[in-house]
Amino acid sequence: MRIPAIVDQLRRIAGRDAVLDRPEDLMMYEYDAGVRKRTPAAVVFPQSTEHVSQIMRLASSAGFPVVARGAGTGLSGGAISPEGGVVLAFARMNRILEVDVENYRAVVQPGVVNQILSDNVAHLGLYFAPDPSSQKACTIGGNVAENSGGPHTLMHGVTVNHVTGVTVVLPSGDVVRFGGKEAESSGYDLTGFFVGSEGTIGVVTEITVKLLRRPERVATLLGIFETIDDGARTVSAITAAGITPAALEMLDGWTLRAVEAACHAGYPLDAGAVLLIELEGLAEQVEEQAEAVREVCVQQKAREVRRAKDETERALLWKGRKNAFAALGRLAPSYYSQDGVVPRTRIPAVLQFIEGIAKKYGLRIGNIFHAGDGNLHPLILFDPRDPAQLELVQRAGRDILEYCVSVGGSITGEHGVGLEKRDLMPLLFTDEDLDVMLSLRNAFNAAGVLNPGKLFPATRVCAETRGPSQNPVLQAEGM
Amino acid sequence: MSATGTSLDVTRELLAICGEGNVSEEEAGAHRVIQGSWRTIPVVKPGSAEEVAAILQFANSHGLGIVPEGGLTTRGFRKSECIVLQTSRLTALEHYDHADLTVGVGAGTTVAQLNTMVGADQLLFGCDPPLSERATVGGVLATASHGPLRHGYGALRDYCIGIRFVTGDGRRAKGGGRVVKNVAGYDLMKLLIGSNGTLAVITSASFKLFPAPRQTRTFLAEFTTVQEALEFRDRVMRSPLSPMCLEIVSPGARKLIRPEMASNAWVICVRGAGSDAVLARYRKELGSAVARELENEDERRLWRAVENYPAAPDRADEVSWIMFASMQPRIQINVPPSDVIHVVETLNEVASYGHVGVGFIGRIGVGHVLAVAEPVHVEIPWPPGVVIDALHEKLGANVSVRVEASTNPWPTPLANRDSMRAVKRALDPNDVLHGREIF
Repeated sequence: MRIPAIVDQLRRIAGRDAVLDRPEDLMMYEYDAGVRKRTPAAVVFPQSTEHVSQIMRLASSAGFPVVARGAGTGLSGGAISPEGGVVLAFARMNRILEVDVENYRAVVQPGVVNQILSDNVAHLGLYFAPDPSSQKACTIGGNVAENSGGPHTLMHGVTVNHVTGVTVVLPSGDVVRFGGKEAESSGYDLTGFFVGSEGTIGVVTEITVKLLRRPERVATLLGIFETIDDGARTVSAITAAGITPAALEMLDGWTLRAVEAACHAGYPLDAGAVLLIELEGLAEQVEEQAEAVREVCVQQKAREVRRAKDETERALLWKGRKNAFAALGRLAPSYYSQDGVVPRTRIPAVLQFIEGIAKKYGLRIGNIFHAGDGNLHPLILFDPRDPAQLELVQRAGRDILEYCVSVGGSITGEHGVGLEKRDLMPLLFTDEDLDVMLSLRNAFNAAGVLNPGKLFPATRVCAETRGPSQNPVLQAEGM
Repeated sequence: MSATGTSLDVTRELLAICGEGNVSEEEAGAHRVIQGSWRTIPVVKPGSAEEVAAILQFANSHGLGIVPEGGLTTRGFRKSECIVLQTSRLTALEHYDHADLTVGVGAGTTVAQLNTMVGADQLLFGCDPPLSERATVGGVLATASHGPLRHGYGALRDYCIGIRFVTGDGRRAKGGGRVVKNVAGYDLMKLLIGSNGTLAVITSASFKLFPAPRQTRTFLAEFTTVQEALEFRDRVMRSPLSPMCLEIVSPGARKLIRPEMASNAWVICVRGAGSDAVLARYRKELGSAVARELENEDERRLWRAVENYPAAPDRADEVSWIMFASMQPRIQINVPPSDVIHVVETLNEVASYGHVGVGFIGRIGVGHVLAVAEPVHVEIPWPPGVVIDALHEKLGANVSVRVEASTNPWPTPLANRDSMRAVKRALDPNDVLHGREIF
């Protein structure tokens, strides 16, 4: 089926005003927050599970690839369209369907913005725990697809720990329901398997999430260190002292100066590194832990440990952290962010390694990351108008991820594999590992209608399609 | 031994894979066996994931079945025409970084062994299944087991960070890794946890550990009605407290948990951890409902009894194991917390008919109830069936039920059976792991 005919069919399903196909409109959907771009053939805005089901039936019979998209804030290219693909955009499925206070659950459509859910249940003393830095814009559907994290996942876990049920439309158009409101459901844990499958198994149209009660007390501390090494060692010292903070973030000196210039968060301009440490829970417990954290910081040569006096000061400290990526935009036209993970005890070593990489390639690399769970975010500044720079930046990124894997870590802690890291999967996984994962994908999405070319290395998927294919979906797998 | 109708010598083939001393032929013995034409059952103990893969490949090429077996603490059973694959030799320590709070161990490691190792560094493994001296890491994963710590530390799915396994069709693979945060590839931990050995044989796994609490106290609150008990639960859930454990003990279960107390009360056990100031706060928040406080040995005994229910309290010896193995299967019931009252009403109604006595405990903060039905007077062929039928009739699709010692661990209709079947076909296309009959 040719594109205009597909667009006609999509309009019949979702409504005349629910499909975009003019080049100037499609440009808005050609990128995410990463560095890759590709213009889709069309964008459709379904308004119901039934719409999504009809669209998937059409895609499977006509053979065009589909990629689901929330707010496009992802960093791994997961929502980038394949060639000739249709973007399924969830902006119009953004309703909170139910808040069940008694059971600490909410049922939401995938287009609900993460922060808006928390805002809507705040008067009940509840909130949704996963808090990616993009939480003011990113959607819960996107969080589910990527199994998103955030600073407070150190204590509360990532998205999968907060999802108990999903309604999913499979590539065939069949609607299935995994899990529910109960903590454990009968049968295989397909909810857990689905979360983080990066849009390659099905399209989520309804999500049952856990809501948490707001803690009685929160203490936010800022540990200020002369050197990045002192800060890094403090991270594992806090863990080793038996304290689990709600969040434990690190900013190196160079990054915090850039952030301070943009956000005026009150960060010290002359420090080598700072740790932003948040403790939450019962008042008595938080006070004891705050004291214990302060002692550990001092033992590890902290120059000063400050504590936010009130909610305004706390919000300011977090504003700096959450807007850090944007703040670096003042220093260079673009940045490339990785999210490799290392065991927490390896943080000092990996930061030294990153410093070496910056020197080796002559790049500026800032570090602002979820130190408490060893999830790095080296931000490599560059100018995307210079293809040579992009290549250099990607090489540096690969070197860092190779190092993470070599010390027992991972290539991604929360951003997902997507398009960006699919060819790095063999660093972590054997052929047989990938073969098992691919057989699971093919159990639901054998023709690759949903999000082809993502997650699996290009060579592997090409081999799987067994020779040249006239099927546009299969051709798209190689991207 | 020879498989009926063929000249294949299964034992000899298994010996070639695993070596002398690691293959035996066993009579059914005390184990439940679904009878078939094999008089004895070959039992093989592979020493590595490679050997597990070789066994599964052998089974695939000859149309044989495999039943993985850990400590049998969830009343698994053997099935004729299936080779028993015991994980007891898969005990290698793969990694342990106490400062990183992570560990990776072979599937045959017992939970008690793991706890002893990490306990020496003041760390805690978050899962406290029944009979932890026998329960293996692979077994608790395959059956998604939990104990009272489930309330405060979450389920295995929340802290299992990596899993290594051999699929039903003999492929060695893994999901996750060794770090606490990792979204690379599909989350195969979730898929295999609770899959009851029907998709793959788990060979090792990695976990996030927790700092062990330095001081704990257990507060027992007693109520004359279950409604009052559940109102107390709701109060605890709304309070700022974060207890390690929040467990209900029904009057019927009580004699096994605290035999010295014979009253008919419903008991809620709240276990708090922290400094004197934190525990004082527990006292203040829980108020006058608390009838007594337990610490030290008394406290330890209570929680051992809850973990091991319905086995007699604090007995991990061979005698208690034999008693445990002959007890009625446990029925794990999961509902949204607000529906626990309907589960309890149903269990009470079933008991009122006089055919079975029903006792239960449960992690009621997360909507979990663990029930045991004992036949009274009349002969009931399968007592759990009476409870399961009643739950299904009253609560329909709103209740999730899992039962031990049954060919189908999920006896109520499954809404997602087609998707489950698709997963099963992807990992075990020849249905080699057919010890359980789900489809």
